[in-house]
Amino acid sequence: MKTILNSAITALALSTGAAAAQDFPQRTIELIYPWGPGNAMAVSQILAKAMSDELGVSVPVISTPGAAGTKAFLTAMNKPADGYTIIDGYVAPLVLQPVLGKADWTYEDFIPLHSAFSNAFALGVRAGEDRWATFEEMMAYCKEHPGELRYTSGSRNNLPHMVTAKALQGYDCVAQNIPYSANAEGMSDLKNGVLDFGIVNVGEFQQAGDQYNILLVLSELPESAEIFGGAASITDLGIDLGLSGLAPMGWDWWMVTKDTPQDRVDVLRDVMAKALARPEVQDKIKALGFVPLKWDYDQYAEIVGPVAGQLEAMGNALKWEEEQLAKQ
Amino acid sequence: MNITPRQVEWLVIALLVGLVALVFQQAATDMAAQGIAPGGPYDNAAAYPKTVAVVLGLLIAAQAAVQLFGAAPPQDEDGGVPLRKLVRPAALIFIFGLYLGTLPLLGYHVATPLMLGALMVLCGLRRPLAIALPALLVSFGAAYVFEAWLKIVLPGGLFHLNMVW
Amino acid sequence: MFADALLAGLDLFLTPQSMLLTVLGVVFGLVIGALPGLGPLMGIVLMLPFAVSLPPVAAMGFLIAIAVGGSCGGSVSAILLRIPGTPLAAATLFDGYPMAQKGRAADAIGIAISASALGGLFGGVVLILTAPLLASFASNFAPPEYTMLALTGLIAIAVVSEGSLLKGLITGAIGLLIATIGTDEFSTGYRFTFGIFDMLNGFHIVAIVVGIFAISEMASQVMGGGLNEKPDVKAVRPGFRTVWMTLKHWKNLLRSSTIGAAFGALPGVGGTISSFSAYAVAKALSKPEEGYGAGAEGGVVATESANNATVGGALVPTLALGIPGEAATAVLIGAMLILGFFPGPALFANQPDIAGGVFLVYLFSNVALLFVGILATPVFVWVLKLKKSYLIPVVLLLCAVGTFALQSSVFDLRVMLGFGLLGILLRGAGYPLAPLVIGVILGPLLENNLRRSLLISREGYWIFLDRPVSATLVVINLLLIGGATFVTMRSLRRRRQAPLVARTNDAGR
Repeated sequence: MKTILNSAITALALSTGAAAAQDFPQRTIELIYPWGPGNAMAVSQILAKAMSDELGVSVPVISTPGAAGTKAFLTAMNKPADGYTIIDGYVAPLVLQPVLGKADWTYEDFIPLHSAFSNAFALGVRAGEDRWATFEEMMAYCKEHPGELRYTSGSRNNLPHMVTAKALQGYDCVAQNIPYSANAEGMSDLKNGVLDFGIVNVGEFQQAGDQYNILLVLSELPESAEIFGGAASITDLGIDLGLSGLAPMGWDWWMVTKDTPQDRVDVLRDVMAKALARPEVQDKIKALGFVPLKWDYDQYAEIVGPVAGQLEAMGNALKWEEEQLAKQ
Repeated sequence: MNITPRQVEWLVIALLVGLVALVFQQAATDMAAQGIAPGGPYDNAAAYPKTVAVVLGLLIAAQAAVQLFGAAPPQDEDGGVPLRKLVRPAALIFIFGLYLGTLPLLGYHVATPLMLGALMVLCGLRRPLAIALPALLVSFGAAYVFEAWLKIVLPGGLFHLNMVW
Repeated sequence: MFADALLAGLDLFLTPQSMLLTVLGVVFGLVIGALPGLGPLMGIVLMLPFAVSLPPVAAMGFLIAIAVGGSCGGSVSAILLRIPGTPLAAATLFDGYPMAQKGRAADAIGIAISASALGGLFGGVVLILTAPLLASFASNFAPPEYTMLALTGLIAIAVVSEGSLLKGLITGAIGLLIATIGTDEFSTGYRFTFGIFDMLNGFHIVAIVVGIFAISEMASQVMGGGLNEKPDVKAVRPGFRTVWMTLKHWKNLLRSSTIGAAFGALPGVGGTISSFSAYAVAKALSKPEEGYGAGAEGGVVATESANNATVGGALVPTLALGIPGEAATAVLIGAMLILGFFPGPALFANQPDIAGGVFLVYLFSNVALLFVGILATPVFVWVLKLKKSYLIPVVLLLCAVGTFALQSSVFDLRVMLGFGLLGILLRGAGYPLAPLVIGVILGPLLENNLRRSLLISREGYWIFLDRPVSATLVVINLLLIGGATFVTMRSLRRRRQAPLVARTNDAGR
């Protein structure tokens, strides 16, 4: 009995002493993830696990959903800038919410570690849909019947919503977006014909592709069209959304808050690049329909900067949709 | 002095009336300022809580009527619970609340054995060894399960007392 | 269809972690069920913070096994001490305690465990056969149907819950309001957050249930007294021949399990009602020489098989529709949401491996109950000797550290304490607590589907009557509300006319 107590007391003493020695990391590093659990979280967990193997401490992914991702950012920014908190910096809270005036930071307020993943999405209808065969036919119908079509982009004011609104605006089409808490519910209503069209993500397409007819891939990258079975993309239809590169897609960078000590940032950057480069990590991420990104921290401003500019320029698409819906 | 179930019932009614009022107050101020109070189901976030609050208000009114005009609960006839019987649960909540409040300051390894010991004394244990030993053991055991198995970082407090398992 | 799901789940189930945790869950459930005042719900609540850090099937296995073990554990104290460890075992006392008095304590406990396991397995068969069918029927359900189902669940639970109907509805409505705290998905606005960023996503469900059930229960235990009593119980060792003794009552076993599973699938009807019903039926159909009430084996068989079959039945609407039947399944749904899968038809269509895995852990937990229960009975008997003065501090520590562990948040601890105080107050005023938790779980389902329906609809509220299933549910809800109002009014009037009679009746309960 006494020996247990003794060793416990020694352990206590040791740990307080060791805190002074700047050995990083000593304990669990948390990755603050801005959405509820799902495919995207599974992808983050794969990379976190690989980083954990490299670091020798566990890296749990803490799901902190709320307020379109801003709650996760606020949570992380309220923790000490000691390198023990990593932010999974998704585009919506990082760039889009500040653009919409719902957050007061910019992408420059964070120190990037490495880019993580991207995932494309497409606009689809249910497989048996016979009212229209192409995106243009549907848009023609929509123009004739303003405000009648119902679609889902998952939730309101997310990136797919913005891109869809922009695409629809080009055809003078007003439709109502229906928010869903769980992707599966929205997809079920799409398949059952309750909704007229919807945004289908890669994971859903891989799982139940035969139940959808993809009308438009919302990306100009040929790889993205390929993932969706070679469906027509915005390039094929000559739609200019004013978006290029990463801008029309979902993506994330992992980052830490400002004021994190440089030596710790270096450790994390090194480890994240190594973890991401592992072949089995790459395979697992691709198997879930996500594309691992190659940009290192020094390209952050170069990649993220233009996205912010482009999203800002199209912020009016959401406003336009709201105004048109209000007129109905 | 005794406290009867009927008195507690009225206390709950008063709290619930406050809750209903709060819903309407928030809808009229905070939600209106955010622009989410008027409009259709897409924009109006206030309509649903207000509806629930109205239903709750009606239910409270009915419950108040029952308390006014219905028969008293049977326990009331024995005069209710004497106040001194409430000292122990109140002390329990106080000790537990104090523990939660001081946990970030004192750290888990200091605050927990103290809380456990205090509660054991409250429950009537008197032998020092029968209190100290279980309190320390349980505290260390729980810390082991959480920190070593579940990888949770327990609050270290001002002294940064954390175990290296 | 049934085999597919089971096969798909086999991989997730056949891991050492899932199986070990299921066994551990049964043991923990039996212990917590045996301790007077703590039941399966408390067991699930206390272990919830651990479970949500596990892989889904292992986590569900652990929690469901606690429900299974907990539904049986109460019989140990009912038989030995004449105190049902949980209300579920209250009817087991009628014949279990007399059996113990006649020196057959070991047999009584053995029969209780065997009947529980066999009844639970029967409930599992019902679950596996009916849940996929219900899910496939519900795969066409859209927001209007879910709106109405959420209402049905809420009303039914308030109607059946203990105590006054009015009070049940009130706590249910409080739950609905609590669920609105945080970011509104539709307008993206913030409600009742008071500028506190911790509240942007509302209160954590675990902090709510731990506070409202566990903290308030500990406060009422400490008020109850007898904190340092050590009940005098002798060692009991049941053998596996009690399985045979149970099987001799096979008709009773089948009948009671059917009652349990069917009642379990209905919203609001929990194990307590099914065990009393099964006992009443068994007694009515028995021969006088069986001696019900004086130590008949059949009495124990009936109540214990019924209350464990209820668990299987209750999982049917929980898994297939995402609608909880009572507080324990509501907490299970909360756990599933945290673990990242949404119970409902989509679960069976998209993640049959999870659904199948849950079926398998449920079946396995009942098998484990049989072996672990009979072999480890001496341990549970020993647990009965634990003083409350040790138990209460330990439970409170578990509450605090478990809640903190969720997201390392001090705010969650305050929420837990706040709900503890609310729970104490509501208990003191005789309000049932389960509808509040049901309201918190069903709240988002109700509001979001209501608003979704109205957005999808091109003719306002008519959408609820345009769709046949939704229209049927509207009628059912109206009937429930009408019936409930009628019953309340009548009992009120009767109480006013003859307050004395009512008082003596109440006192007799």
